[in-house]
Amino acid sequence: MKAIKIIKKNKLLFIIGFIYLLLLIVSPDKASKAVGNSVYYLKEMVMIMPVIFLLTVVLEALVPKEVIMKSFGKDSGFKGNVLALVLGSVSAGPIYAAFPIGKTMHKKGASISNIVIILSAWAVIKVPMLANEAKFLGVSFMAIRWVLTVLAIFIMAYITNIFVKNKDLPKNEVEIEEGIISIRDEYCIGCGMCANRMPEYFKMEDKKAVVVRENPDGREVELAVAEVTKKCPAKAISFYTTS
Amino acid sequence: MDIFTIIFWVIAIILTVMSLVKDKKKTFDSMKAARGIMGGMMGDIVAIIFLIGLILTFIPPETIKTVLGGANSLMSTVTSAFVGSVTLIPAFVAFPLVGSFVDSGAHIIPSVAFLTTLTMVGVVTFPLEKKEFGLKFTLIRNGLSFVFAVLIALTMGVIL
Repeated sequence: MKAIKIIKKNKLLFIIGFIYLLLLIVSPDKASKAVGNSVYYLKEMVMIMPVIFLLTVVLEALVPKEVIMKSFGKDSGFKGNVLALVLGSVSAGPIYAAFPIGKTMHKKGASISNIVIILSAWAVIKVPMLANEAKFLGVSFMAIRWVLTVLAIFIMAYITNIFVKNKDLPKNEVEIEEGIISIRDEYCIGCGMCANRMPEYFKMEDKKAVVVRENPDGREVELAVAEVTKKCPAKAISFYTTS
Repeated sequence: MDIFTIIFWVIAIILTVMSLVKDKKKTFDSMKAARGIMGGMMGDIVAIIFLIGLILTFIPPETIKTVLGGANSLMSTVTSAFVGSVTLIPAFVAFPLVGSFVDSGAHIIPSVAFLTTLTMVGVVTFPLEKKEFGLKFTLIRNGLSFVFAVLIALTMGVIL
């Protein structure tokens, strides 16, 4: 069972491994050539990966995201657009992790154009990824694509704002019960923060967090869960309490 | 190590030290989170790198050059943009993958189109986006992203 789980988790890796194995039997020459071709990219990746890791960490720790999120009024204007760009650029995780965050910000008054900016910036212009892009495609390639993309994002935000009005966005609220922890696993990016901090309440299963105990007891534990909920980078945990 | 990698290393280390000085606990917390995210992608990263080896071995550079090498081939650009839209691989490994294609003679226009739609247009994540923001928003955002990805690619072809 465990073996199946590991294979499922690394599907692509096992498929590629299997192809190499076949190749090794059919044509060892080609197999060693393919490995040789990969090694160059592997080396480059190993050299740049710690940089990407550190940049991701530093941005997460140094950029006051909560302060930025508070400064999105309806009339935040161009400054709001730039802040949206910054917020999207410094965040980690795939684009779908940005959906709940964008939704929350829209509820708090962020405009349609700022939501488009956050989502697009989140998707395309990750700051740590710029190091990666410069490494494999060259600095001028990276710089020009960055400038053009930022321009495109602003134009797209402007156009979307003309066609989409606030009423076009669904208001569907997921019913959550008071005092019960729940996770929308489609948004969990599997960082493991919750399981690390509160192993009695969360654990990791197949790269996703799951709730182990859904009703925390005691004021202190409730506060701790609320803190983890707030800290979740994908805003995938829901928990509220009125007490 | 080339000069740019060294510069990035220096920047990353300086910032990390600053972050540690400013808030040790927060830095370690985000290290844990980042390790979790990157750890989860590790299998895919290694797999794609070895896939690059296979591609370079079995698809001769001449083929890559003919299919993706034409500077003015709108067809190859739009196709690359489509492939990018439906693919869901971490952007992380997309750069070495595209880099290997460019090294073998692919033109940068289709390469940029692929890179940009890969991250900005999400066919796979469309249902999720629609649930949060509605059909109209999602259609317009993804549609515009596709068009602008092609425009960015064409502009880059002119500049570079």
